Amino acid sequence: MSEDLDKLISDAVEKALQGDMDVINNIEDRVTRSKAKAALVKAKRLAKAAIAEDAPKPEESKAVEALPAELSLTEKVSAVIAKKFPNTIESDEENSHIQMKGKNWFEIAQYLRDNPDFLFDSLQCVTGYDFGENEDLEVRYNLHSMTHNHAIEIRIKTDRNDPKVPSVEKVWRIGDWFERETYDMYGIVFEGHSNMTRILCPEDWEGWPLRKDYEVQETYHGIVVPKVKDGWE
Amino acid sequence: MGVIHGDLMTLNIGPQHPSTHGVLRLKVKTDGEIISEVEPIIGYLHRCFEKHCENVTYDQVIPYTDRCDYIASMNNNFGYAVTIEALMEIKVPERVEYIRIIVAELNRIASHLLALGTYGLDVGAFTPFLYMFRDRERILDLFETLCGARLLYNYIWVGGLSHDLPRDFVESVFSFLDYFEPKIEEYNELLTYNKIFIERTADIGVLPPEVAISFGVTGPNLRGSGVKWDIRKDDPYSIYDKFDYDIPIGAGEMGTVGDCWDRYYVRMVEMKESAKIIRQALKGLPAGDVHQALPKKIRPPKGSIYKRTESPRGDLAYYIVSDGSPIPYRLKMRSPAFTALSVLGEISQGWMMSDVIAILGSLDIVLGEIDR
Repeated sequence: MSEDLDKLISDAVEKALQGDMDVINNIEDRVTRSKAKAALVKAKRLAKAAIAEDAPKPEESKAVEALPAELSLTEKVSAVIAKKFPNTIESDEENSHIQMKGKNWFEIAQYLRDNPDFLFDSLQCVTGYDFGENEDLEVRYNLHSMTHNHAIEIRIKTDRNDPKVPSVEKVWRIGDWFERETYDMYGIVFEGHSNMTRILCPEDWEGWPLRKDYEVQETYHGIVVPKVKDGWE
Repeated sequence: MGVIHGDLMTLNIGPQHPSTHGVLRLKVKTDGEIISEVEPIIGYLHRCFEKHCENVTYDQVIPYTDRCDYIASMNNNFGYAVTIEALMEIKVPERVEYIRIIVAELNRIASHLLALGTYGLDVGAFTPFLYMFRDRERILDLFETLCGARLLYNYIWVGGLSHDLPRDFVESVFSFLDYFEPKIEEYNELLTYNKIFIERTADIGVLPPEVAISFGVTGPNLRGSGVKWDIRKDDPYSIYDKFDYDIPIGAGEMGTVGDCWDRYYVRMVEMKESAKIIRQALKGLPAGDVHQALPKKIRPPKGSIYKRTESPRGDLAYYIVSDGSPIPYRLKMRSPAFTALSVLGEISQGWMMSDVIAILGSLDIVLGEIDR
């Protein structure tokens, strides 16, 4: 009996890998169906790993080894990016972050994620920032590597009247929601994002709440929005 | 491919629905009973936490952090206090560190009890929920003697604590642990190894580790996928490096690594480990004054900081920018439940309607923290 089941599952998985999910979905018994689905996830993962092994390994960057060892990670990353993508780094003086220009950010993000010396596979946090009324806006990214257990911060300034930064939604999937939140609060548009809509505020809310010059709209659908008192008693 | 597809049906769950754990709306597209797309719609509990913080002083922020993740307020206080202390370079007394860890781990147990109990409820087991709430109540009683509040504590302050431990607190926690540890076996018999529960959760909603990392999923959800990652061990804060405890990870005991059962079971084992930490901390608790390092006025120097701590739901981080005034210039909270919910759409595809509820419950979200 169990051999029959195994065969049924393996057949269904094979069909599903060819794109026909109905075989799995049509399995009557619930437990068997779950097993088949789990087997499918596993098979897909194995296939992916096999492809990754076959693919030519990205050339190991010698650029990092050539740098003096006493440099901090931030300085190393900024030196490597400056070499590979000229005219993108503005400064890394404070040694706590890298100040960058917006252009090429998508490619740089991909490079930082895939470079074996850095492997920043996790986007920890995206923070919007306002320098004050009539000043620039900024987006701050905190990257982290699960493999090397190291972290850096990248900052990208953008113009207040036409704030635009390339989206990294396709590099780190969580970028999707983080960027929507930043858009919601600061009005910074992430170019290339698949669904640039508000996430926390209602869709038809006016203004960008976390900007320093934000003024609350007086009414919303006929409801009076309570005013925030100046200061606190 | 010769497959006939019928029209997709759009189904709406929530925003008011018992199984969404708060005010969450799910827009579900189904093909028959099979899910082809889930879109979580959030924001119903948005209370402008970050905007509020830009208008109050640093110490006034602490009660607001309570109200973000209202199931684990101690851990939220803890994360905030640790961040500001790092920015101001305050060294807190040894006794404070120990008490913080005791209350944070107690709160972790309380939070997991709620998560596991309501998870049983989601998949149709009512009894374990009552057992777990009975025991969670004892922790809340302990906290009540500690600071007068049952849920929103405002207990851990920048540089110290609001009160020292009350009389007999150490003994009460010891007797609670003596009572609680054997209870874990009881939960296992009631729920963990229940045949129906296993069939509802094992092999369902498999979250592969690389997907979890790309979505920024952390905490028990990530560990359920077999990734040994815990801020308490990998980027230690406070005095977590002094204690001896293990980090449980999912092993696919009942099905595939990273399924709902694994995520559930990691939480169950974590409660045991937390109890272990609390015992060690209680034994090593030194004497001292908990108000000694409280700053008169909190005015961090100019600069910014990003600091992570391990809340029961994962990587809770604060990004704080100070301009040298007593009011934060910018405060961003990176909430672990926010990232956990974002993965729901990815891992629910192809499952049944009832499985989506099981997957959502296994992610253990708190809407107060997602919407802030």
